[in-house]
Amino acid sequence: MVNLNTIPPKNNRNYYIALGLEGSANKLGVGIVKHPLLPKHFNSDLSYDCEAEMLSNIRDTYVTPPGEGFLPRDTARHHRNWCVRLIKQALAEANIKDPALDLDVICFTRGPGMGAPLHSVVIAARTCSLLWDVPLVGVNHCIGHIEMGREITKAKNPVVLYVSGGNTQVIAYSEKRYRIFGETLDIAIGNCLDRFARTLKIPNEPSPGYNIEQLAEKAPHKDNLVELPYTVKGMDLSMSGILASIDLLAKDLFKGNKKNKTLFDKKTGEQRVTVEDLCYSLQENLFAMLVEITERAMAHVNSNQVLIVGGVGCNVRLQEMMAQMCKDRANGQVHATDNRFCIDNGVMIAQAGLLEYRMGGIVKEFSETIVTQKFRTDEVYAAWRD
Amino acid sequence: MSSKREMPLHHTLELKVPFKTEQQAVIATRVLSPDPILKPQDFQIDYSSEKNVMLVQFRSIDDRVLRVGVSSVIDSIKTVVEAMDELS
Repeated sequence: MVNLNTIPPKNNRNYYIALGLEGSANKLGVGIVKHPLLPKHFNSDLSYDCEAEMLSNIRDTYVTPPGEGFLPRDTARHHRNWCVRLIKQALAEANIKDPALDLDVICFTRGPGMGAPLHSVVIAARTCSLLWDVPLVGVNHCIGHIEMGREITKAKNPVVLYVSGGNTQVIAYSEKRYRIFGETLDIAIGNCLDRFARTLKIPNEPSPGYNIEQLAEKAPHKDNLVELPYTVKGMDLSMSGILASIDLLAKDLFKGNKKNKTLFDKKTGEQRVTVEDLCYSLQENLFAMLVEITERAMAHVNSNQVLIVGGVGCNVRLQEMMAQMCKDRANGQVHATDNRFCIDNGVMIAQAGLLEYRMGGIVKEFSETIVTQKFRTDEVYAAWRD
Repeated sequence: MSSKREMPLHHTLELKVPFKTEQQAVIATRVLSPDPILKPQDFQIDYSSEKNVMLVQFRSIDDRVLRVGVSSVIDSIKTVVEAMDELS
């Protein structure tokens, strides 16, 4: 049992308010979360049921032209340009007039992510903390996703599939830590999709993965999957080989290389595969790998719930495939959220940071706020869980 | 520019940033100073504040490293100043 009410709310209020700042990749997010102070949290294991209220959730994405990825320096500049404006807007939306009085805590992403963008956001976080005299809490980005997913879906103890542009992990909770059961050995799934989108030169707006999903849906030859490497290694995955091989296929397709027998008919030279088919096959192949390791993790920890978090978690096809696997297991359930909470955002940082704050974890000196590109999920002591 | 410091770091620059109040200068100093330098053997920064002025002293092995380092600090200072203007 855990007491989530260790630290009373500021000024004898009966609720907590947290500001969350996220900027580990190309999304800059500012969110404000409110938790009521409830007797049921004095001695329980209800960290997934805080009755959280989202007072504001604003995001601004740095979008690059088709065929280009986002670079750390330019992304950091974007975050610097927008950070203060977004904070101001979020406070106004949440109707917070005096943040020095109303905020209990300011939460920021300490890692993992790109160094320069993380740094530009932490500068704003530190300044606000000193200006308003409000304590800081550094949040692990992955933990933010997990806690937001649990709060939204009310999944008590799910196996977590964390799939985004920079991370691919299968996670299960045990003994005060979120343990990594399996992960990618090279690139993340979102990175694989993004880079294929660059090869295709399709727009990065709203997100490259979404555009691939839309193309895949229109694939004319769904019954004829293009063969790609399937690389599951125990509980881990590898995706760089898949990317290399689908990139090669796409280039041959654009060049009209008739020697490629996968793409063109041996005798007639007729085109057998379209760009849409490639998108479809890539998704099917990658998601099947994810489903396989997730199912194995579920068997290991004896769980029948899956929570999908991270940007790629918005993908409806992935949710569908996962649901099918869960249906075949006894009473299995898939929990997923929509793009407001799946894609990087500020409220998830506020949610995870506020849980930490309620357990008494705050930054005591600024040397603890130094951001870090590498910050593994299992490094975090989850004090708020039983 | 002056160059009478430790042997290898000859290229130096001093930045004086005046703020409205002494407290603002202290805040800026505290916000900027915690972050470690990637290559301390090539580049060093010292932050301090005197009354309402923040003092930043840079030392570097060459002018290229100096220029890059200084401009990145100025970028951070802009965020701090904007936050002070807009959020307090």
